[in-house]
Amino acid sequence: MREGDNLPSRAEGRRWRLFGEDGPSRYVFYLPAAFMVVFLAIPIALTLVWSFFERTDFWMKPGFTLFAYELFFTSARAENFAFAMYHSAIAVVISFIIGFPVAVFVRRRVPEVVQHRVILLFILPFMISEIIRIFALRPVLGRYGLVNSFLMDIGIISEPISAMLFTPVGVIIGEVMSFLPFMVFSGFLAMEAVQRYIFEVCDDLGAGTARTFRHIILPLAAPGIFAGSVFIFVNGLGVGFIPNILGGPGAVNAGSIVFEAIATIDFPLAMAVSAIMIVTLVALLYIGHRIFDLTRLLQPIS
Amino acid sequence: MYDYRNSLNYWSMWIYVIATVFALLLPVFYIIYISFNEHGFGSPLYEFTWDWYRVMFDNTQINDSLKWTAALGVTAVVTAVPMGLLAAKLYKRTRRKVALVMLMLSPLFVPSDILGSALLVYFKNLNRASESLGEALGVDWFNGWFELGFTTALIGQILWTVPYAFIVILITMSRYRDVQTEAARTCGATAWKAFWLVEFPQIRVGVFAACAFVFILAFNEYTRTALLKGGFDTFTTVLVSHMLNTGMSEDSYAMASLVSALSMVIIGAVLVYSLTRVERLEREARATVAPAGAIVGSSG
Repeated sequence: MREGDNLPSRAEGRRWRLFGEDGPSRYVFYLPAAFMVVFLAIPIALTLVWSFFERTDFWMKPGFTLFAYELFFTSARAENFAFAMYHSAIAVVISFIIGFPVAVFVRRRVPEVVQHRVILLFILPFMISEIIRIFALRPVLGRYGLVNSFLMDIGIISEPISAMLFTPVGVIIGEVMSFLPFMVFSGFLAMEAVQRYIFEVCDDLGAGTARTFRHIILPLAAPGIFAGSVFIFVNGLGVGFIPNILGGPGAVNAGSIVFEAIATIDFPLAMAVSAIMIVTLVALLYIGHRIFDLTRLLQPIS
Repeated sequence: MYDYRNSLNYWSMWIYVIATVFALLLPVFYIIYISFNEHGFGSPLYEFTWDWYRVMFDNTQINDSLKWTAALGVTAVVTAVPMGLLAAKLYKRTRRKVALVMLMLSPLFVPSDILGSALLVYFKNLNRASESLGEALGVDWFNGWFELGFTTALIGQILWTVPYAFIVILITMSRYRDVQTEAARTCGATAWKAFWLVEFPQIRVGVFAACAFVFILAFNEYTRTALLKGGFDTFTTVLVSHMLNTGMSEDSYAMASLVSALSMVIIGAVLVYSLTRVERLEREARATVAPAGAIVGSSG
């Protein structure tokens, strides 16, 4: 048993009793991880298997067929998927431009005792139902919505702008509004690993903010920026109700294709699209980890 | 780029930070404003009314869905928070920290539609397998174990909320020094007593914050619940069907506003309480370890 550890020792827990006389056995502490394996890792892994199954009238049967993938790649779905990747990438860039300066400023210039408080402000919008926030964008972005009324009232425009809703622009705005806090959180997490004296040294040596950003902040915060970007990209691609609500009739992404396939009882197609998403996610995380070493992000909590 | 040494830029950045939070909240504030207008959205007239809230509370479907959603939220709290706590305790002990964190946080990276549909097909398969097993054994005890319903929706909710409970408790726990447990154990306390009387009071704020987060997240979640809930309705599924079927009606604004305001109040209260408590603890800690003159010196 490690010093200072109040978990029962290996020998105490070896009897496979979940609760002993002196507190819970060590196996109890593995229950959450076991839950994650049973209800997350296994279903996700099986998704790859089910994607090769054959479709039946109301279900699917074991077999090996590439029909679902063929259906996906030879229809408009693949094109829509590619387009969704494009607007998710734009949402990542916009989130970085808007959100990352917040993380940098707070870490660099805000007194250390209040840094977490400022970052925690972003929890507030994040905790409001995502679907409500997305729906709430309709009266804000519409032709007679808040933004158009305001711009017309102050005389910037004479005609309402109709490109903000039921267009790809609406989808991008929705994605940025939904996932921006993640860029702030992960950016700040990465910046926390950077000691503040480094910025003071930069100041003393006369490096301007731009040079400090390029040579110090960007390389050191890269794992956080990458993790935030992957989160925004994958969710932008996978959360189906954003294009459904803000993108108009033609706008779909991987999430909405999956939802639609489930609704039409085409389970292998739903699994194939999910599998493509999962492979994309794993590949991105693997590449990111090889380049940026994402474990550096865990430094503040280790 | 910003030159923060320039005080104008410094204060502009503060305004920028606050404006960003405000912009994220703006749509929600706007629908709250609309929900009190007798003439609804788009009308040039604005007359204050509570009518849309009355319409909402008179709707039986909404009342039923609120009960189901509350039940789901409470059950998620009593399952996900202890799981987050156990995982955080395991994190402090295990040598495979990275693997554990990746596993516990991975639900955040899998989009809701993908995870929801994978679980839906998983449960359908498990249900078929358990029924086949029951048939083979000639018993009906296995029937309905994984049928879509409250349990499956709860599993979806736990997957969604455990990462937040885990990270909130872990951050609070990182301030706790294990040597205190060691001292309690040396004085003869059992593991339970050492946890309950020494460790828990110090991580209590994190655990309560995790409870609030889990409840709000479970209450507000849509996609996984919609896919896994089976026969009953939750608040968000009713809200979405309202909005998709009848458009943005005034009572929809009232529904969305009520839940958003509740979320903001609960989370705001938790944040204010936990932050002021942390500040008080830090002040007390400084007062204990340093003489008054040193504190004045250091703060000056």
